[in-house]
Amino acid sequence: MGKYIVKRLFQLIPILIGITFLSFAMMRLAGGDAVTYMYENAGVAVSQEIIDQAKAEYGLDQPFLVQYVKWFAGMVTGDMGTSYVSHRDVYETFISKLPATILLTVTSVLLTVLIAVPLGILSAIKQNKWTDYLIRFLSFIGNSMPNFFAALVLIYFLSIKMNLLPVITNDNVAQSLVLPTLTLAISMAAKYTRQVRAAVLEELGKEYVTGARARGIKGRVIIWKSVMKASMLTIITLLALSIGSLLGGTTIVETIFMWDGVGKMAVDAITMRDYPIIQAYVAWMAVIYVLVNLVTDLIYHYLDPRVRLGGEGT
Amino acid sequence: MKKKLIAAMLSCAVVLGITGFTVSAEEKTFVYGTTGYSEEMGDAGLNPHDNYSGWSALRYGVGETLFKYNDNMEVEPWLATEYEFVDDNTVKITLREGVQFSSGRTMDAQAVKECLEDLIAVHDRAPSDLKIESIEAEGLTLTIHTAEPCPAIINYLGDPYGAIIDMEYGIQGEGGSANVAGTGPYVATEVTPTQITLVKNENYWGGEVKVDNVIVKSFSDAGSLCASLQTGDIQGTYGLQYDNYPLFENNPDYTINSMPTSRCFFGQFNMDSEIMQDINVRKAIEMGIDKESFCTVLANGRCVPAVGVFPGSFSYGNDAVTAPSYDPEGAKALLEEAGWTDTDGDGYVDKDGQKLTIRWLTYPTRLEQPLLATYAQDTLKQIGIEVDINNTSDHRTYAADGAFDLYVSSTTTAPTGDPEYFFTSTVVGAKNYGNYQNDEVTALVEELHQTFDKEKRGELAIELQQKILDDCSFFFVAHLNMGIVTKSNVSGMAAHPCDYYEITADLDIQ
Amino acid sequence: MIEEKQITVRKQKIRRNHMKAKLIFFVVLTMLLILTALFARAVCPYDPYEQNLLIAQKPPCPEHLFGTDRYGRDMLSRVLVGSTTSIFSTLLLVAIITILGTGIGIACAWKGGIIDTVLMRISDLFLAFPGLVFALAVAGVLGGGVHNAIIALAVIGWPKFARLARGLTLTQKNAPYMMAAKLSGSSTPKLLLKHVLPNIAGPVLVTSVLDIGTMMMELAGLSFLGLGVKPPMAEWGSMINEGRNMLQTAPWMVLAPGAAIFVTVMIFNLLGDTLRDYMDPKQRNK
Repeated sequence: MGKYIVKRLFQLIPILIGITFLSFAMMRLAGGDAVTYMYENAGVAVSQEIIDQAKAEYGLDQPFLVQYVKWFAGMVTGDMGTSYVSHRDVYETFISKLPATILLTVTSVLLTVLIAVPLGILSAIKQNKWTDYLIRFLSFIGNSMPNFFAALVLIYFLSIKMNLLPVITNDNVAQSLVLPTLTLAISMAAKYTRQVRAAVLEELGKEYVTGARARGIKGRVIIWKSVMKASMLTIITLLALSIGSLLGGTTIVETIFMWDGVGKMAVDAITMRDYPIIQAYVAWMAVIYVLVNLVTDLIYHYLDPRVRLGGEGT
Repeated sequence: MKKKLIAAMLSCAVVLGITGFTVSAEEKTFVYGTTGYSEEMGDAGLNPHDNYSGWSALRYGVGETLFKYNDNMEVEPWLATEYEFVDDNTVKITLREGVQFSSGRTMDAQAVKECLEDLIAVHDRAPSDLKIESIEAEGLTLTIHTAEPCPAIINYLGDPYGAIIDMEYGIQGEGGSANVAGTGPYVATEVTPTQITLVKNENYWGGEVKVDNVIVKSFSDAGSLCASLQTGDIQGTYGLQYDNYPLFENNPDYTINSMPTSRCFFGQFNMDSEIMQDINVRKAIEMGIDKESFCTVLANGRCVPAVGVFPGSFSYGNDAVTAPSYDPEGAKALLEEAGWTDTDGDGYVDKDGQKLTIRWLTYPTRLEQPLLATYAQDTLKQIGIEVDINNTSDHRTYAADGAFDLYVSSTTTAPTGDPEYFFTSTVVGAKNYGNYQNDEVTALVEELHQTFDKEKRGELAIELQQKILDDCSFFFVAHLNMGIVTKSNVSGMAAHPCDYYEITADLDIQ
Repeated sequence: MIEEKQITVRKQKIRRNHMKAKLIFFVVLTMLLILTALFARAVCPYDPYEQNLLIAQKPPCPEHLFGTDRYGRDMLSRVLVGSTTSIFSTLLLVAIITILGTGIGIACAWKGGIIDTVLMRISDLFLAFPGLVFALAVAGVLGGGVHNAIIALAVIGWPKFARLARGLTLTQKNAPYMMAAKLSGSSTPKLLLKHVLPNIAGPVLVTSVLDIGTMMMELAGLSFLGLGVKPPMAEWGSMINEGRNMLQTAPWMVLAPGAAIFVTVMIFNLLGDTLRDYMDPKQRNK
């Protein structure tokens, strides 16, 4: 196991270099005249000399690769420059907004699990009964609804029509969490209910279940003891994957609900062309995503002996 | 097990959250939502010497200026009690007695001098407005020497950047988090780029402050601003979108306070662009846009059609000048006269095989601007002009590059109640993106700049407006009504034509 | 025993026929959608771009079934015309990533070696980004516009197909019949076109159809954030964005385009599901 972890960590290095390089290169290409833009933003007209001077100060006159290495080093040491708009430290800004996004991600994943697992299992057990059809129908609806539309529909009914919940974030975190979490969980749960159902069905079709049934073990016991255990693998993988997609998927929801996380920060930065912020966001999100995937892999590896023995297919 | 634990923690959080909601009944707390406070607008933070942050200092009752503007945008004393021009280059200002900064220091001429000296040392616009050469301080008498005659200096001192702060206390924090010690009815305890927490100033010179705590919240989305007012999360708003006014009009739970301001939506034609050089084309565009409909329908009556630079409340405002009015038939005739006709039957006029397409540059932060652009696109189509909209936050780059035919932006044309600003900044100054040149106009602006007599300044303002209107170089669409909507139990919040004083000592909650 | 088996076979046949009918039904529905998108301009009752401020923000009524927007433009007409942009840009996007991804996948599997390694590492790289994050950044860098939104999503979309096609091609490449074909002297293009492509087309097609719904929602999402089409162009995502501030006073401005996306995505998803079940009956229950 230890060896495997080390191996995986080594494999990570080129990926990390790749994603950071890509994020960096992309922003440099776009933000070629970032300094000029920065002054424009501040509403000051400046001469070419001042611009050149500022470029030198930001190290923008150096060769591309040198800039990248510096930036990469800064990413590790927590110095990613300052925002063009607010002139505040990018790293600090990012770190200060990250907890909000993580909180939203965690609650959404929890809610998703709470919805998807029971419904998925129920749907599988009651295969082709009306419960199954109803659950599948609902998951289908959830699957076909873009989350921004779902968010607006939820606002319309829960906040405006029924006046139950605040539309946007307020000081009451628990209350403010409900709508964004619900929005994110609805579309994810819709997707994962189907997959949990499929995973459970697959297990139910296996010989050991038939064997257990033949031995007279109760259906419920089989479900909870064996099938659940076997389906856990699928569920854990799903969970980890959803965390990854959530980290990005929260952008729209954060914007709608004014949730002050990194997603909203990124959208704001994009409209203002605040490249250092976008750069940090893209790079860090990718790094987090890669790390989450790695952890999933490791858990998977640990839980499933077949993967452990069957080579590194992942 | 873990799941249980998490569930327990979550329910704890919910309970805590709900109980945390109750505030002790004796203290009055006012939560104010605004779309006017953000880093993007350049007014985050409270340091008046930084970009537009002075607006926030003034708006939210932390800072005060030496002079303020009344509802006719005339200068009135505030932290100063009187002023006197000793000669063309010297003005003597007497300060109010018994004013204290929230830092505890007494405001005297020395403190004001330190503040103004820092202002002209670090601010971008102030030095060229005020032209201060040196300042003398003695007791409560402040004497300012200017490098050249500066008749509008008293008006300029009322600009938010002129908010007086204690330089000994200094600027705490940077940019959007900067806090300062002012003289206003409120003291900021926490400043972030999205929120300001204020407590009442116990030693306010202007008397008892009625509300104990004020929280100013920044909203980037007008929709959530509106919803928050309805749910009661906030009790007052600035920047509510027109579309949402019907929800609050004729509703006894809310009070709408609105006032026409000098914020003007206007277009500048690019005189370097070949098609725009023809005055008939420019005039046709003006005549093709129905300002009245725009204001009543799209802006829901929250805008007033503009004729010239200044709103009707100014003596040299709207009624004093004339501009082409809406006349689509006349516009078509003008285009034809200029050689633009629809020869290929595609609905758009053309000349030498070239379709008449104008590049309309604007930006989205002011919600009315994209609306106007989309509206103009259809209404100008009726007279055969195609509009290509470039609605971008990056508008300044395009404007500076001259990559437009018509640049529609908005600005407070008389932020200091004086007509000079618009002409020096936008007509002949750095913001003359359309590169409009008229020697007569330049000379008149110079004359305005030198003139002390108020009445004469007004006359010059009228003459100048009429000149640029006759040249069709600028095009004024509408003046914005500033609107503050509050719960009806909130009093003492009034809209002002200058868009500054929002939270004052008068604020109260019943 | 034999009888029982016959019954199962018949059952399967019936089920398969049922499947086929279902598939045809959804194909017809999809065709209807595409036809609407194609001839939207001809079928819409009003000019979707013509403003009439006198009838601005009218709630749904017999003349304007979906109401009007703030400029007095007919919402039904705008939703109809919006289908052209929304549906065709999605189809274009999916076509691009399918073709590009499959091409790269086949090339990797067929050539192997350094090309395979390099391209697969690159695809790893793109898969390492959380999808929308990267698309947002690309769209932000390129600026607004449908084309840029399509490019942004294509950049992150292709590796999925490259992976799939590569895996499928590898199985085909090592299959005994391929050896035989090779030995009989068929040229590489012939091998690819006659043997590989037809054999991998099924799964690729199913994945691609199943992807349409997701891509449509992501494209609309970018538009919703203002990184898609430019006004006044009608597109569902941006129409929802335009209307969202008026959710209270004029909810139809959000509900009409929202319902349009919902129904369209649903139809494409149903088509994808049915197609998958039809092609691979084993997967039916998933």
